[in-house]
Amino acid sequence: MSVASIPPSILLADGDAQSRTMFGDFFERRGWVYEVVAELELLNNALENSCYDIVIADVAMPGLDSLGLFKEILQKRPTQAIIAVSEQASYDEALNYFRNGATDLLARPIDFPWLERVVQQIMCAHRQDERERLVCKFVTHERTEMVFSCRDIVELDTVPLPIVSRLQAIGALDQSAALKVRLAVQEAVLNGLEHGNLELESSWKEELEDDGGDRFSTVRRERLSDPSYAERLLVVAIQYDGVMLEISIKDQGQGFLNLSTDPHQVIAADVACSGRGLALMSSAVDEVFFYNNGSEVRLRKATNNARRA
Amino acid sequence: MDFPTEIVGDKGYIRITSDLDTEVAGEALRAAFNDIYEQGKRTIVLDLSGAQIINSYGIGKVLMCYKRLKAENGVLMVKPLNGFVKETFELLMLDKLLPEEK
Repeated sequence: MSVASIPPSILLADGDAQSRTMFGDFFERRGWVYEVVAELELLNNALENSCYDIVIADVAMPGLDSLGLFKEILQKRPTQAIIAVSEQASYDEALNYFRNGATDLLARPIDFPWLERVVQQIMCAHRQDERERLVCKFVTHERTEMVFSCRDIVELDTVPLPIVSRLQAIGALDQSAALKVRLAVQEAVLNGLEHGNLELESSWKEELEDDGGDRFSTVRRERLSDPSYAERLLVVAIQYDGVMLEISIKDQGQGFLNLSTDPHQVIAADVACSGRGLALMSSAVDEVFFYNNGSEVRLRKATNNARRA
Repeated sequence: MDFPTEIVGDKGYIRITSDLDTEVAGEALRAAFNDIYEQGKRTIVLDLSGAQIINSYGIGKVLMCYKRLKAENGVLMVKPLNGFVKETFELLMLDKLLPEEK
């Protein structure tokens, strides 16, 4: 059976008997594969023992901490689609469901044509992911280069790393390794942005202002409004050769490294508000190299493919 | 983004509900901290169970809270940590600095 023709598999958790019947009838008519649970314990068992394309959860189910459940599910399966069903969600509640990982929110009475559309969209995205996973298995070399201004970086909050998600999906990086690679990149980007391009001094973090802020944050804001700093570029180059993942982060500053410090040294438990980025970076990947006084950082992480080779 | 706060007895609690790795999250922590601090509480407990990741930026913000409390003989505590956040605290020896609330 091709990926495109597989029907969606759904786990429905609903405390209301009448609602369960309505959902069940609808799933039957569509030819979808589904399982229904009416109690919290059965829901936990089902999630423990099986995988589903979509989990549809009635947030009012007795005893259910829906936000805790979403978080738990997504920790185990980060791409799990979850549709929350709520009697009447306020704007804040809805926002909270989305922030905690819900893919969509259904209000009662259920709009079944809408549900069908949502399920089709989810399945379409799943099929696309599956195709990408298949492609990733056969990749022997991939290189991506991204160029950001300082403003872009601040707006994005994090640099997108789709290769890390794909390597995680094919088992070349486990969840913890993927998390650590993301952290290391984030630290290197932050260093390049703040100490490289914006030329901010770490010691300014210690200079507290009356409102609980600090000089570092104030100057950071000022420089992000000054085009002579804000338009400086940061280049992120990602290279994967089927075994090793190498990520280079290059800024246009003078370099943040003071030659008298050892970037691989884990700092002592003092209370300085800065100086931990390099330690975190070094602990998160296999190797860290610094060039041009730190204006280029290269991170290297062997994937599980290296261990198999 | 807002982090919920709660006062229980002489302690203030801040529940971190997202990763602590962005300016937005750092500012949310500062606002939540200020809210409790201005109510006169000098023992503040961070519940980091909602964070999967904390980076150097987030740690800097946590330590800023620590220093403000310490300057007034206050204490910054954490709820029991787990996962990668726990690993990060141990790596940077912050677990020695910020006592756990059992």
